[in-house]
Formats: sequence, structure tokens, C-alpha cells
Amino acid sequence: MGLRADMETVRALMRRALNEILRVPGAAIPGVLAPTIFFLGLTAVFGNLTLLPGFTSDSYQSFLIPISLMQGAGFTGAATGVNLARDIEQGWFDRLLASPAPRGVLLAGLVLSASFRALVPAAVLLAIGFSLGVHWPGPGGLAIALVVTMGMAIVAAAWGTTLALRFKSQSAAPLMQAGMLLLILTTTAYAPLELLTGWLQEVARYNPVTQVVEAARQGFVGSVTWGETWPGLLALAGLTALLVALALRGMRRTAA
Amino acid sequence: MAPILIFPTLLLAIQVGGAGRAVDLPAFPEVNGFLDFMIAGAMVQATLLAGNSGGIALALDIEMGFTDRLLAAPISRFAIVGGRLVGTAALGAVTAIWFLVIALIFGAHIEGGAPGALLIILLVTCSAVAFGGIGAAIALRSGSASVVQGLFPLVFVILFLSTAFFPEQLLLEPARSVAEWNPLSFIVEGIRDLVISTFSATQFAEGVAALALVALVGVGMSAAAMRGRLKRG
Amino acid sequence: MPAIETRDLQRVFSGGVTAVAGVDLEIAEREIYAFLGPNGAGKTTMVRMLTTLLRPTGGSATVAGHDVVDEAGDVRRAIGVALQEAALDPLMTGRELIRLQATLHGLPRAEGRTRAERLLARVGLETAADRRVGTYSGGMRRRLDLASALVHRPRILFLDEPTTGLDPVSRKAIWEEVEKLNTEGTTVFLTTQYLEEADNLADRVGIIDDGRIVAEGTPSALKAEIGRPHLEVVLADGTMDRAEEILGRFGRQLPAKDGAALVELEGGAAGVAPVVRALDEAGLVVESLELVQPSLDDVFVAKTGYHLEGSETPGAEEAQPGDRPERGGEPEHVASIDP
Repeated sequence: MGLRADMETVRALMRRALNEILRVPGAAIPGVLAPTIFFLGLTAVFGNLTLLPGFTSDSYQSFLIPISLMQGAGFTGAATGVNLARDIEQGWFDRLLASPAPRGVLLAGLVLSASFRALVPAAVLLAIGFSLGVHWPGPGGLAIALVVTMGMAIVAAAWGTTLALRFKSQSAAPLMQAGMLLLILTTTAYAPLELLTGWLQEVARYNPVTQVVEAARQGFVGSVTWGETWPGLLALAGLTALLVALALRGMRRTAA
Repeated sequence: MAPILIFPTLLLAIQVGGAGRAVDLPAFPEVNGFLDFMIAGAMVQATLLAGNSGGIALALDIEMGFTDRLLAAPISRFAIVGGRLVGTAALGAVTAIWFLVIALIFGAHIEGGAPGALLIILLVTCSAVAFGGIGAAIALRSGSASVVQGLFPLVFVILFLSTAFFPEQLLLEPARSVAEWNPLSFIVEGIRDLVISTFSATQFAEGVAALALVALVGVGMSAAAMRGRLKRG
Repeated sequence: MPAIETRDLQRVFSGGVTAVAGVDLEIAEREIYAFLGPNGAGKTTMVRMLTTLLRPTGGSATVAGHDVVDEAGDVRRAIGVALQEAALDPLMTGRELIRLQATLHGLPRAEGRTRAERLLARVGLETAADRRVGTYSGGMRRRLDLASALVHRPRILFLDEPTTGLDPVSRKAIWEEVEKLNTEGTTVFLTTQYLEEADNLADRVGIIDDGRIVAEGTPSALKAEIGRPHLEVVLADGTMDRAEEILGRFGRQLPAKDGAALVELEGGAAGVAPVVRALDEAGLVVESLELVQPSLDDVFVAKTGYHLEGSETPGAEEAQPGDRPERGGEPEHVASIDP
């Protein structure tokens, strides 16, 4: 098909995905509301955990914000999956499948849009966060946090896509959201690794998303170092590769 | 049924693991473990979700016209909602038993013993019915499942603004002030007291009173909504 | 080389449902071929397999010379598809949709835009092109779907029930467009549950029932094979018996209907004149005379044992099954003689 044609296709599909929030009033709200409620709620409820000796920040909201950014990415990705399920149910997806566009190109068009849409909840969360005293992460810290957020959105969108292709129904939505939520919360979400208890400490220790969270978190709670960054980027790359492969496999088997 | 139990259970597991060290904080009440503290919150969370999902189911019935058929039949008005609430009550009982079992399996201690456990089941069942009533009221008023569904985030807002997950003295503003008079806090504390300490009549009474308040509001709203619905036809 | 060829094509769904039970097809280039059958006969499953949206579970199929499984990409490049559920996005405008289709087919941007404008004009949607598809009527959606299927000038066009649910005017518009495309050289494969559609449009018809082709051929050949036309003659009062005696000389007599004497005419329209002469010579007064051709529904009933759903004239969807004329014939007013 040619690289130029493929890139045009990706661009066109991304443009179409943007219609979801640009042309449907209020469509962006649920994806912003949930992480915001969690951010405000958890800060107000568990804020005093910072009093524990060994807590790596004096500001719980600074500690928590990367988790909220991830949650926003998770919901955005799940929305991609739900929209695909709807497109499958209504026959739109047939149009894409019957065209000569390669499956990988179609997938890219579907999931890349999520990375940009995740910037909407991210912007809202950061605005609210900063107004509530979240530490300024510096340009480096902020850039890393946003890159990581966009990356997680792609991971979540690939997950949502896989489920949509598997179940071909919008009722798989809770599974799309729950899967990501579980992945994000079984990390150093509530407290630093050493202060986690029981099974959660073990799981968080080996959960690759913990590295991703820590990379996004560093600017907000301290200084930004390469040592803190590369494990997160590596974990993100690995997760992306895994889930995109899963989604691509689902795409190819969709005619079976 | 499953999502009403699974989600609070997972959240319980995660929050106990994540915030468990809070028991080391000086201001934290005397407990056997963080799980002992949290279990009441998880139960009440489940009953709130049950109320919300019961409301969605009723709203769907209304949307599909099923309720109109019932209204036309010679059944008492309250029987229509009441029937549904009986189901919600059963759900409440199951919820209580589920979390009690989890508590015991994972090392929590019910200080109130067997009678305490029975009282917990009672309180949680009433809680489910009370929130079921609110859910039904909203369903009757709006007649729309998506409206009831849209209130789902509100469940978490109410929970965060109470002592469901953390002791009042350790909450930050504005949660702390709201939690002070939030009926949900009283309901949670009533149940919690039976888990983490020996029976306190005041705590229990306050819990019951809060439940009665919620139930009253639910009944009042339901009756008004039902009247409005019948008037509109 | 046939445009579409299948050998023992099968599709069994998980759960054991056999939608297509072994179909052999050979469709030449520039043909219009129609699959005629009721809902659930396997029409849509066939189309989905031929358009690479569904994998066959047995047999093989080639479209435009390429295997649908191994060379799916090549097949997709050569075909245009307009499926039953018009695959449109309500949030997009008509123009955006056709341009997206052009992009999906790898057309360069400028060419895509030009093609889009031309096609929008061709199907009469230029004024509506910037409105969101969600505001389009059913007929407009089908036209847009058809236009988008043509953006890359496909050699073969697949249409799954293209006029189901449309009003007669829109239906006619689609038919005209399909015929024009065919004249320009496009092979058309369509599925339909409407006899009139198959009869009017198709060069050849395949009657499909329960996943199998039960009859195949040109509409006239099929009808001729099954039955002969019959003459319905209404005479002045009191002359029925004599008329029937005369009519009986020209062909097999059929039960009278509504006061008309019926006789089968082997020679078709050519046999009408002798009958008229004979009646005239006998001094009988003919009030009206109609030559009724066998219909595809007759063919369908002969092959499957039941009437095709929707065998009423399309557009008269309000007609209930009980309203169908007993003999299932659609009168063709070849000759109507008044005294």
C-alpha cells in the first residue's frame, strides 16, 4: 500500500476518533470525572499517610497525581475499546476490514488516538492538582509524566481493542476498565514500596507498572534522574509490545 | 450480583495492602489490624452499589414500560418497590456474610463475637434496603437508567466524604468536616464498632438512627416520585 | 476468467449452525448476478465470505482471480462493498466519509477529493455532503454507501440487500445506478429478498435456501422451466361454458378464478392471437383478457415448497401474507382487450 498511504490512513482514523470528543458534547466528561473524583477523594481520605516515617513525600497529592494520570489514561483506553465494540456492533468496522489497509495500520489508527485523548483528563488533573499544592515537577518531570501517560493510554487502548475484538460487544466495557484499574492500583499507588503490606508489596515489587508509576512520579516528589526513568520506559515499552501484539492477533483473527 | 461484591472486595484488598501501615499512626484507633478497620467500609460500599444497581434495574423496567403494567394491576403501590427491596435485603445479607467470611479468613477479629456478627448482618441488610430505597426513588423520579447510572460516581464521593475508609481524626478537609455529620459515617461506625471493640450502645443507636434517616428519605422520595408518576400518567 | 468463482464453499458457525452448505458459483465479468432467498438463507454469509470479512470453513473461493483467504489484500483492492447495515458513522459528514474511504484505499489526497466530489454528484448528495450522516434518510445513506464503494473504481461490486427498507423512488434510483455501473463494465453481485429486484436487475439469479443453491439461471429461463404463462379471459355473462370449451383446444385448462377462465398457453404471447380469433369466430364477447407470466415466486415455490417472504410488490410492505394473490402470479399486462 505504500508508507505514505498507510500514514494517511492512520492520520484519518485518528482524526475520526477525535470526533468522539469534539462532536459529541459531554463525551469527555466520564473519562475526566472518575480520575478526578479518585484524586480528590483519596487525597482527602489517605492524605495523612504522609505522616508515616519513610513516606517519600510530604504531599500526598504530589505522590498520588501520577496514579490519577494513569487512571485517566486507563479510562481513555477503555473508551477506545468501547467505541470499537460499538463500531463492530453497528457494522462500521466492516468498512475498515473490507478495505486493503493492513491490519497493523488499522490498529495504529485506533490506539494512537487514545494517547492524545488522554491529555484531556491529564490537563484537568494537573490543573486541579497544582491548585491543590502538587509540587511543580519541572519541565523534565512533566514531560516524562506526560509521555508515560500517553504510553499507558496506548497500552489501555490495545487492551480495550483486544477485548472488543474478542467479545464484539459494548458490554465488555467494565472488563476493559477493571483490567487497567487493577494493573494501576496494584503498584505503589497508595504508598511507597516499603510501606506496603502483605501481598500487595510483593505484587507491586514485580508489577512492571510500578516502574512506570515511579518514572512518572519522580518530578512531583523529588528530582528527576535517568536511573529512575529508564526502568519505567522499558516497562512501558514491554507492556506496549505485549498488548499491541495481542490486539494485532485479535485483529487478524477477526474474520475467523 | 458479582460486580457488587467483587469491586469492593478488590478495593478492600488493595487499600488494606496500600494503606495498612496507617495503624502505626498514633492517632489511629486501637485495632487488631487494618482489615478489621476497613471491613465495615467495604460492606457499606457494597450496599451503596447494590442500591445503585437496583435503581438502574428499576429504571430499566420503567423505561420498558414493565412498571406501567404493574401499576395498572391491582397491586399495592408499595408492593412494586417493596418486592424489589426484599431482593436488595437478601443481597445485603449475602454481602454481610461474604465480608465476614473474608474477614475471618484473612485474620480479622470480630470483637463482638457471634451476636456481634448477627447484628452486623442486620445492620448491613438494613443498609442495603435503605440505599435501595434511595436508588428506587431516583429511578422513579427520573425514569431513566442512564440518569441512575450517571450517579455512580456520586457513590464514591459520598464514601470518600465519610469514615468508610479512614478514621475521622485522620481525614483531611473538606472530608473531615463532612464526615462528621454524614449519615454514612454513622452507619459505618455502627458496624465497625461491632468488629473492633465490644458493643457500644451509643454507636449502635447512632448507626440505626442514621439508617432510619436514610430509609425515611428514601421512602419519602419514592412516595413523592410515585405520586408524580401516577399524576403524569 | 470468472470474476467470482467458488467451489463447494461452506461456512459452519461455532455451535454447529451451517449457514452455507456447499455452494458452487461461476460469475463472469460484467454480469449482474443476484442471490435470491429469504432471511437466514445464507445470503449475507456468502457475501461476507466473498468480501473477506468471514473465513470459509470449507471449500474455496476466488474473487477477481485471487483467493479470498490467501490473497485477501488483493481481493480487497479489487472490490467495492456496500453491506446490509450501511456501515456509516453518524458523526461524520458524507464528504468526510467518502474521503476516508479513498484514504483507506490508498488514493492520493487530491485524487481522493476529486473522486469524492464526482461520486457525491453522481448519487445526488452534493448538497447534503457537509451534513452529518446521522441526519440522512435511509435512502440517502444507501446512496452514500454505494458511492463510497465506488471510490476506487472496483471491478466487482458487492451489494447486500441494497434496497431493503427503501421507498420505491429510492429503490428505483439504486436500480438505475446499478445498471449504469454494469454498463460501464462493473460486475455486480447482489443479494436480495425481492423478486422484482432479481427479475429486473439480474442477468442471472441464484435461488438460495438453507445455505444451498436450489436453482440458477436467467430469470426468463427459470420461469420458463417452471411454468408456462396462462391466459385469463373474462367473458360476458352466460358464455363461460362455451368459452372454456374453446379455450381447452389451446392448452391445459386451469381452475377458473374470479369469473375468469384460465388456460395455460405453451407458446406464450404468440398464442394469444389464435385464441382471440377463435373466441371471436364463436361469437363470444370478451370483456378482458390478460396474459400472466410465471413469476420467480412460482419458481421459488417449485424449488423450495414455500413462498418467498416479500414476494409482494416492494413498496407495498403493508400487505399481509394473507393478502397475496392465490396463484402468486404478478400480472404482466401484455394484452388487455376491451370490447
